[in-house]
Amino acid sequence: MIVFKTFLKVLKSCKTPIIMYTVFLVVFGGLNMQTSDTATSFESTKPDILIINNDEDKGITKNLIDYIKDNSNIIDIKDTEEAINDALFYRDVNYIIYIPDNYREDFLNNKNPKIEIKSTGDYNASLAHMMLEKYVKVANTYNAKLDNEEEIISNINKTLSVKTEIELTSNLDTNNLARATFYYNFMNYSLLAGLVYVICLILSSFNEIKVKKRTIISSMKTSTHNKNLLLSNGLFAIILWIFYVVLGFILLGDIMFTTHGIIYIINSFIFMICSLTIAFLIATLVNNKNAINGIVNVVALGTSFLCGAFVPMEWLPSSVINIAHVLPSYWYIKTNELLKTIEVFNFETLKPIFINMIVILLFTILFIVITNIVSKKKRKIN
Amino acid sequence: MNKVIDVKKLTKEYKNLKAVDNLSFEVYEGEILGLLGPNGSGKSTTINCILSLLNFSKGSIKIFGSEMTPDSYELKKEIGVVFQDVALFEELTVYDNIDYFCGLYINDKKVRKLYIEDAIKLVGLEDFKTFYPKQLSGGLLRRLNIACGIAHKPKLIFLDEPTVAVDPQSRNNILDGIKILREQGATIIYTTHYMEEVEILCDRVIILDKGRIIASGTCDELKALSDIEEKISLEINKLDDKHLEEINKFKTVDVATYSNNTLLITYKKGKNNLLELMEYLKKERIKYNNIFVERPTLNDVFLSLTGKELRD
Repeated sequence: MIVFKTFLKVLKSCKTPIIMYTVFLVVFGGLNMQTSDTATSFESTKPDILIINNDEDKGITKNLIDYIKDNSNIIDIKDTEEAINDALFYRDVNYIIYIPDNYREDFLNNKNPKIEIKSTGDYNASLAHMMLEKYVKVANTYNAKLDNEEEIISNINKTLSVKTEIELTSNLDTNNLARATFYYNFMNYSLLAGLVYVICLILSSFNEIKVKKRTIISSMKTSTHNKNLLLSNGLFAIILWIFYVVLGFILLGDIMFTTHGIIYIINSFIFMICSLTIAFLIATLVNNKNAINGIVNVVALGTSFLCGAFVPMEWLPSSVINIAHVLPSYWYIKTNELLKTIEVFNFETLKPIFINMIVILLFTILFIVITNIVSKKKRKIN
Repeated sequence: MNKVIDVKKLTKEYKNLKAVDNLSFEVYEGEILGLLGPNGSGKSTTINCILSLLNFSKGSIKIFGSEMTPDSYELKKEIGVVFQDVALFEELTVYDNIDYFCGLYINDKKVRKLYIEDAIKLVGLEDFKTFYPKQLSGGLLRRLNIACGIAHKPKLIFLDEPTVAVDPQSRNNILDGIKILREQGATIIYTTHYMEEVEILCDRVIILDKGRIIASGTCDELKALSDIEEKISLEINKLDDKHLEEINKFKTVDVATYSNNTLLITYKKGKNNLLELMEYLKKERIKYNNIFVERPTLNDVFLSLTGKELRD
């Protein structure tokens, strides 16, 4: 009990960094969550089009204008070349259609009149171009077979009015999943930094050679002392993890009550255990309290950058991703990223997640083995 | 008297070096035993072997009649150690530091609280309970170090150079505290470089050199081993070689030297040395200022036994 009590007292001196890492998680996680709102949500848009009609507003010409009007936002701009160019430059309009003089007559006489256009070249302009092309192709098809203008117009309208019914079968809450993924990815930094910093600092106090000598000559069994210290560290790690998970529930809301949420939590739990072993390994290797800050930066910040905790993995160069494979953070973040895209959970979709978790657990075992070897060697030297 | 520690033929070897060589000694209940010796004489190695912090090559160590091993947790309950290096938690207050180290022995909270208060009182840290180690002076840190080592009221205490680099006030406080511990019935093994401390505190002294016991006994018994009986020094402005020669011819004089206006005479044996010297100076009309008469120190004993200074 005295070991746990002392552990808590020493832990008190680490409260500033713990608060700092938590604030990072909330502030940076929170900020990114807001930006992810627009990045992942879908909004249907209509292109902004200006029609400059040099023909009479009747027949096939009128029908073309009506079709464009129905499927876009018609913009009214002063009909001067300067005003039109300004509107294009400032993106007030995406696409300009110049209907030539005698378009109707030339069309009906199969002269294939040319419609001039001006475009901003962006996505909306392409949409407008596709719309115009579609109309002209359908109109040309009927014009080649029919002679009567009214009949042609009627067939064009009939063909263009056919719309494919699209049913959205996916119920994936992409927006909230993206938010949750980012939060749990960022947890890679907060959890790793928090655990490495605190555990290294506390163990360096307990393992300080003079203090340890006093502990060894005391009547408390060394095994009992070490067990208590191990349990205290484990308990701290679990409490910190629970705290971050609860914070996740508060920040992310309903998504955490879904299967996705449960897997995020399980994944972070496995990663927490791995982080704990990393912290023990570093604490065994390093006894210098002054070096701990630098080590935290290298381990937590370094792995977070390399493995895509702060920036999406797809933005990272392949060489960096290749290096990241040897770090447990990569497999943890990979699972979070995978979760964002999984809609139905079955063995096939869960298989890569299980593999990632097994890899993290293998890393955990590896760290435990290395820690034991190092501490045995150190004991021999002492 | 009961034997508290019984060390027999203890030998500790490091490759080709014998740090402790066939050492045998006993420590009896209630006594303060001084372990004296220069650096590298084997004091700390002996203590570390007794405490099972080091494996030893040969010999046996018994504490309170039982063999001491790393797993002798019942025996360890009765032992307190104050190492030369201050061993504390920087993150804990004075009170919490003592609480932790006492808590490694005493589980009962109420008992522990009483013991901690006693330890704080013993070392005079009542006004510093809530201070952190970095807020304490070197002397206060040493006092805290002692409190951490003895708070659980052990019957056997090892004090390894507890007064090194300590201010006079703290030093007196520590020495008074050790006397109180002895009065309370503790048996103490005390290692130090300060011979005057040994003379003040210790009932018996063991002098070590190169891992071997070269002498042991009470301070008076050890001093009797010295070639010197008495040392007299005088401040004399001018002394002729003729006079120095004559003084060297006195029956009981071992050697007389004159340098830096000081005449230093060491006597082998005999009484009334000072009277004889003063009569001679009066007769020869030699003027002198201050006179110092010294009994031989443990350093003189060490010097006569090994031919080198204890603090070498």
